[in-house]
Amino acid sequence: MATDLRISNISKIYPGCVANDNVSLQFKSGKIYALLGENGAGKSTLVKILSGVISPDNGEVFLNEKNLKLNSPLDAKKNKIGMVFQHFNLFETLSVFENLSIDATEDNKSLRVRINEILKKYNFSIDLDVPVLNLSAGQKQKVEIIRCLLRSPKVLIMDEPTSVLTEQETEELFISLKKFCDEGILIIYITHKLKEVLSLCDEVAVMRKGKVVSVSQTQNEKVETLANKMVGQKLAKIRKKINISKNKDEIFKVKHLNFYSDDPFETNLINLNFSVKKGECLGIAGISGNGQNELFQILSGEIITPDTSIIFRNKEIAKLNPKQRREYLMAFSPEDRISQAAVPELKIFENVALNNFKSSNFFEKGLVNERKIKEHSKKILSDFSVNTDNVELKSQFLSGGNLQKLILGRELITAPELLICYNPTWGLDVGAISYIHETLIKINDQEKSTILISTDTEELLKLSDRIAVIYKGTLSKIMPSEEVTPEKLGVLMGGGSID
Amino acid sequence: MSLDISFIGILIGSIMASSVPLILAASGELITERSGVLNLGVEGMMIIGAISGFALMVITDNLFIAIVGSMLSGVIISLIFGFLTQSLLTNHVATGLALTIFGIGLSAMLGKNFVGIPGKEFPVLFSSLRESIPFFGPILFGQSIVLYFAFVLPFLTNYFLKKTKLGLVVRAVGDSPVSASNQGINVILVRYCCILYGGAMCGLAGAYLSLIYTPQWIENMTAGRGWIALALVVFATWSPIKVLIGALIFGGITILQLHMQAIGFRIPVQFLSALPYLMTIIVLVVISRDSRKIKLNTPTSLGRIFYKEK
Repeated sequence: MATDLRISNISKIYPGCVANDNVSLQFKSGKIYALLGENGAGKSTLVKILSGVISPDNGEVFLNEKNLKLNSPLDAKKNKIGMVFQHFNLFETLSVFENLSIDATEDNKSLRVRINEILKKYNFSIDLDVPVLNLSAGQKQKVEIIRCLLRSPKVLIMDEPTSVLTEQETEELFISLKKFCDEGILIIYITHKLKEVLSLCDEVAVMRKGKVVSVSQTQNEKVETLANKMVGQKLAKIRKKINISKNKDEIFKVKHLNFYSDDPFETNLINLNFSVKKGECLGIAGISGNGQNELFQILSGEIITPDTSIIFRNKEIAKLNPKQRREYLMAFSPEDRISQAAVPELKIFENVALNNFKSSNFFEKGLVNERKIKEHSKKILSDFSVNTDNVELKSQFLSGGNLQKLILGRELITAPELLICYNPTWGLDVGAISYIHETLIKINDQEKSTILISTDTEELLKLSDRIAVIYKGTLSKIMPSEEVTPEKLGVLMGGGSID
Repeated sequence: MSLDISFIGILIGSIMASSVPLILAASGELITERSGVLNLGVEGMMIIGAISGFALMVITDNLFIAIVGSMLSGVIISLIFGFLTQSLLTNHVATGLALTIFGIGLSAMLGKNFVGIPGKEFPVLFSSLRESIPFFGPILFGQSIVLYFAFVLPFLTNYFLKKTKLGLVVRAVGDSPVSASNQGINVILVRYCCILYGGAMCGLAGAYLSLIYTPQWIENMTAGRGWIALALVVFATWSPIKVLIGALIFGGITILQLHMQAIGFRIPVQFLSALPYLMTIIVLVVISRDSRKIKLNTPTSLGRIFYKEK
């Protein structure tokens, strides 16, 4: 039987943020639908409403013209709406079978038979009796999917399913999804990855700031058109103007940087030498795990290496700790926003206060000057267009893009002479990426320098004045970026050599 | 000391009797913790169970009412904990500590008029077999029904957690309340039930002390056994069978070191008194050192406050 799912005038308002604003959409079985939007556009809120996790302030959901009351996840299940969340809803310490049996109504024997049928039908190979914590992300996702399939769903909603998958696993997922679709299951696919929409989905609805801004056939769309709809303005093609003249002063100079570790998970660094000029962006490319982590930690002062010389603004700083380096006008933006750059449980203004400099006046005689910190935090939030003005909000509620903006804003408090970032746009959507790129370019325009360690070659080519490649702890020669092509970088990143 | 076989039998019997309150309280707390709730109020719930059991016995002269009443009083006081932590989302640790302090104070107040009243003899089962069979008689027979229940309980608990649907739900809630809630499980309800069950078992453990083990009311008569029970649960890595082993070791060494003190071993008394604590921890740490099993048995969400998204 054909399935018809209709969402009518759904609204959900959180304090300080309209998550869904009068959203109406219609879906019919036999097609795969994409729900596309930036982080924080309201996609997740909408699917949480559809799966009964939260209830809307307004609006209705109809399945085959029947008005659904979705007050709990149980209601969604009863109405045959299946949901695979971005963060898995599995019990890590229970076995796969226990995870699947927890809400089953049949006895264990017949359940096992049914699960094995599904495993066979879709070519999944999962051991049912191992604890879930031993599975890979792709396998965990399959367990979630099996859990939905056991209830023979009419609707299957996938929330950002590929964010944790390898390329291989993504391909497998797409094959399964197409099979489900052919069997008459209505599939709603939530994502911010444009290429996936084009390769997998039939129809695409774009959301922006809680509203549906466009519904169209994917065959009529291209990456650029979708990106523009998603972000809401034409994305300017930025490539930095290279404005470095040869005779500028070297502001930062590293000599004989060596690092040896006994830890098999760390990479040794072998005799790195490089320098950064005033107003310049030095890009360091490489496949992750080639020593970038160690390099970043040494540059930021988390690791002190003997016999290394780091000259910054004519002063030897190799023995200084991160705080001292910051006070000497360096700034750092680590790769891991949640655990290294910010404390998710702290409020926004508290995170801002973590860089407690003498110059910032955040602390007086050992006491916290909350008013001053809050004022400053407000300024960061508006200057860096973070989508909230509530400095009391816990940082964990910020999306990745907004958190990165906040971190950059905090790091730039002191107007640093050198900013070192490591994968600053990792996992962000196009809108946030372009904002952060513009910010980094602006820093160079103001005659301040940056070191950009990144695994994204496109980003490096766009932002760097000179580029070097790190491979197995050694640095290639440093090249002016106008001489560098993606192909050249690819060869160097794979350990080859060019002449 | 005559080491004849019947003496050893009696010794083992008394070791079993002394470990009963630990087994009961720890088994109850184990279920509570498996659902992700850390209730540090075990000592408080036990002492409330002890006084209410004894008081009801004196007032009604009915041991059955006394036992049931002690469990009910454990339920009622744990309901306070449940309401505070599950409905008002207070911190588990602070609330549990408050519960213990409250329980000790309340029991002392309620028990004022019951000090010095002699207890009543608690009926024992199979007392004729106790005398007629050497060695095994004093171990297996002539004990109260509560003792038999206590020694079956860890196995029942194990079966409940591993084999039943409800046990699976309890473990799931303890593992990830958010996931459980998204699966349509009423997390708050499950946790309330586990808290109340824990309360009932602690109440019974207290009543065992004041009605059976040393039939009288003495202020603060639980003497830290609630804390031992709590520690047992953790060091037994949330496994009911290991709780049983731990409780027996603790009871055993407590009794043995008393005998050693009586005989006059040339070991400092302080060291002997500390021995049960030390040995229990060492043995439990040694038998549960498989880190993979620890991870699988530990309730991941233990002590964390859960609230439902609206």
